[in-house]
Amino acid sequence: MADEFAKGFGILTAAGLGWMVLAGWYTTDSFEEGQLLGTPPSDPGIYGQVALMLKDALFWFAILGALTFWVIIPLINETRDALDERGS
Amino acid sequence: MSDNDTPETETDGGTGIVPPDDETPTWSERKERSQGLSRLTYEYFERARREDQDLRQESSYVERDVLGFPAWPHEMIRNLALSSFFIGMVLFLSATLPPEMLPPADASSTPSVILPDWYLYWSFGLLKLGPLNPELALLGGQKLMADRTYGVLANLVVVGVITIVPFLNKGSARRPVEQPFWAAVGVFGVVFAFTIAALSVKNLVPIGSHLLFDLTFLLPFVFGFITYAVLKSMREGYMFTLNRRYYRLRPPK
Repeated sequence: MADEFAKGFGILTAAGLGWMVLAGWYTTDSFEEGQLLGTPPSDPGIYGQVALMLKDALFWFAILGALTFWVIIPLINETRDALDERGS
Repeated sequence: MSDNDTPETETDGGTGIVPPDDETPTWSERKERSQGLSRLTYEYFERARREDQDLRQESSYVERDVLGFPAWPHEMIRNLALSSFFIGMVLFLSATLPPEMLPPADASSTPSVILPDWYLYWSFGLLKLGPLNPELALLGGQKLMADRTYGVLANLVVVGVITIVPFLNKGSARRPVEQPFWAAVGVFGVVFAFTIAALSVKNLVPIGSHLLFDLTFLLPFVFGFITYAVLKSMREGYMFTLNRRYYRLRPPK
């Protein structure tokens, strides 16, 4: 249980950190308001395109990865235990 | 340490930690901890215990009963790991996201929004309790004190309540489920801290001012009641599990 929490938390923080850095580079117009969520540049260049895609990938990895370890895997384990208990 | 003909005193490495008989894990139980974190902790402590024992047997020092691990390397390696992590984090963030250099402060122009730092919003919100200041019929509809005095008094009351919290309930409960009422009081306080902070920035909160004022005092009660109900209904199952575990560990004779 604690292992699963640590894995999900590690994914959330590590991927979130990467997302935050890339969003700070590419989609931050100003740190006063709307930081990290600004509009992406219209002509980012090849590196920029890669970075923007990586940013989105990291964002969803942070959310889905944490959800996987905190919700889905425990749910599967609980279901399996319940089924085992019912079967035996 | 002892002569060969006298039997050696059996110790567990001399840590002085002697668990009660019915809690001592057997060797087979220890070997069952064969995977994951439990395996890691088990190996760590076993190795540490073994190293400790070897050191004691090699050394010429008088055996002492020491409760704990030596600072080097056990504690020091952990501390170095933690410090390296945080130093690395500071370096990483300052290299990748250096803070923006804002223009210098202009003393001759007043900013449009004046607010204290975020952690003082609750106190700032308590200054906006004017609508609660009663108009007394005895004084002919006058207020006893100005709204601003009322707000300052509200600060004193809240700080006073927080001050007596440590003396309120010195029970032995370790989990909220053991004392639902006090847990509900705690949730009330936490939620009130957030709602009163939201009240202080009511110009920036996108809901009506009157609704926000009502919610400020309603939401803490709502969340407190929900907490109480949930914990109260959880308590029976919790006590059942606790008792079952207890009697499994110490079967009634």
